[in-house]
Amino acid sequence: MKKILIVDDSRVSRIMLKKCIGNSDKYEFCEAENGQVGLEKYRDFRPDVVFLDLTMPVMGGREFLKEIKKENVDAKIVVCTADVQRKALDEVFSLGAFTVVKKPPAKGCVLDALSKLDQINK
Amino acid sequence: MDKTEKAIITEEEKEILLEIMNISFGKAAADLAEFIDIYIELSIPYIHVLEPRALSGYLKKEIKDNLDCSIVEQKYWGKFKGDALLVFSAISSRELLSLLDTEKDWGYCSDPIDVLEKESLMEVGNILIGACVGKIAEMLNDIVTYTPPKVIIETQPLDSFFNFQVEEDSSIILLRTAFKFKSTDISGFLFLITSNESVEWLKSALSEFMERS
Amino acid sequence: MDFSQIPYQINIGLVIVDRDLKVIFWNNWMAMHSGIKDEEIIGHNLLEFYSNLDNVRFLKNFRSVISFGNLSFFSQKLHKYLFPFNTTTSFDTGFEYMQQNCTMGPMRDKDNGEINSVYLTVQDVTDLASYEKKLVEANMLDGLTGVFNRKYLNSVIEKEFERHVRYSRALCFLMLDIDFFKNINDNYGHQFGDFVLKELSARISSALRDVDSFGRYGGEEFCCVLPETDIKFAVAVAERLRQVVVDEKFINGSSSIDVTISIGVSASCDKVSTPEMLIRSADEALYKAKETGRNKVVMMDEE
Repeated sequence: MKKILIVDDSRVSRIMLKKCIGNSDKYEFCEAENGQVGLEKYRDFRPDVVFLDLTMPVMGGREFLKEIKKENVDAKIVVCTADVQRKALDEVFSLGAFTVVKKPPAKGCVLDALSKLDQINK
Repeated sequence: MDKTEKAIITEEEKEILLEIMNISFGKAAADLAEFIDIYIELSIPYIHVLEPRALSGYLKKEIKDNLDCSIVEQKYWGKFKGDALLVFSAISSRELLSLLDTEKDWGYCSDPIDVLEKESLMEVGNILIGACVGKIAEMLNDIVTYTPPKVIIETQPLDSFFNFQVEEDSSIILLRTAFKFKSTDISGFLFLITSNESVEWLKSALSEFMERS
Repeated sequence: MDFSQIPYQINIGLVIVDRDLKVIFWNNWMAMHSGIKDEEIIGHNLLEFYSNLDNVRFLKNFRSVISFGNLSFFSQKLHKYLFPFNTTTSFDTGFEYMQQNCTMGPMRDKDNGEINSVYLTVQDVTDLASYEKKLVEANMLDGLTGVFNRKYLNSVIEKEFERHVRYSRALCFLMLDIDFFKNINDNYGHQFGDFVLKELSARISSALRDVDSFGRYGGEEFCCVLPETDIKFAVAVAERLRQVVVDEKFINGSSSIDVTISIGVSASCDKVSTPEMLIRSADEALYKAKETGRNKVVMMDEE
């Protein structure tokens, strides 16, 4: 069973993402509504992958990325954002994001990201 | 939360609408940068539900904190319909014109600066409103059309600004976000005042959106 | 009924281009005013024929319509025209080209709703713009001399003062008056007096920068707003104006006289903090110039 942490302030967004991933037998989910809570959950839950929103109150996605990479360089982070400007993408990749999924999430893209992760872990 | 708010839109619908706004504004910002070379930051949006009577007061209060402002108004009209108000605070005309790369033309124009300022404001406003409203409509599977923008610049007493015609026993869904043009001092707010007529449609479009995803 | 003729026949320009600005449709109105037949332009890029549209502003609006499906409005006030067509009348409209209000909007694929082309309507608003221009000018200009009138000058002072406060830019003001104008009128008649006012206005206007605003404040009194100018430079400007008046005789018919002017100069500063004070300070300096001999420039007290 794979562990997935979803860090997003929007409940709706978390629901949509879970719908895309589907198959609840294969995955175990944990959710956080901002980066701060996300960090705590990450330490407890030790997820295989994190789906991360960028704009959140308290602690945004960029800071979360920076912090988590300090603790675990190998952390696998998939950034979810609607703002796919080149500059924004370059920034999250330089912070160590594994890949980016465009919002609203499409099933194909999300599963694609997950299977890429599988390949790396093999 | 007061009673009207409960009646018109549920907490869940509000959450869906917020997420749709988030995504739409993110897409709008990305497309504005990629296709139009306009670089803009849009902050986390808010939704307010108001009684019609409270609307003018609310807007006056929001805008009064930004004296020296200019407002672009444009109506959008589809299944999703309403009134878009773009409030620019403290505009520098030169900066504004630079957004549309018209600084070069500056010297050749015989018109007074404030005419150019006003028209440029409308043009930038038209694009910005079109981007934000267009993306929301797109996500709700709707197509909207627009009236030509109108602009009001400063100095007029705010009381004469607003003359919304709304039914008394209804509520208004107001969407709000703050914007800032990157590497300029130009910033302000965008308000989308959703018309009563489209509330029923909006509710069903929201649930459809969740089912689709 | 056959409605398909309407796009061809309406009294408005209608152009449709694809996503690459290639012309797909060109109606009769466009053909008539451009002299280009539809078969000549269809299939070609619009910019090949109208290179003036190859500018950032037009293309930004075009891409916005393609990306967001909004309408773009090219107002006559800002753009004057998109297509350089001749005006349709031989009367002087005050414009070289037909003034146009244009609108651009999306056209979508019937099946998938995607925007695959863009329409552009062109409306001739020359008459309206010409009428507005005349009204605006009549409201701004002094009937006799053609320079700005007092009402407009006051609005310029207000506006420039606001800019001065907002961006802390220097601002100067000149008040000038023809010396012994009453004598000119009495000795040479009012018609000659009018000639002096007109000639003086012309001489001074041509000696100023484009950004300066010069106008008739009343009677034989004129004034001048000098934005982004410090007081030293303003005094030099005033001196130049005094020169262009005194240098050459005023000649009309058989009459020929020397005319001189006195000028008061003021500048916005801590002490001069309102438009009214700016005018009053220049007026006081002008009074001093008159008192101390005329035909001279006097600066306001600066302590």
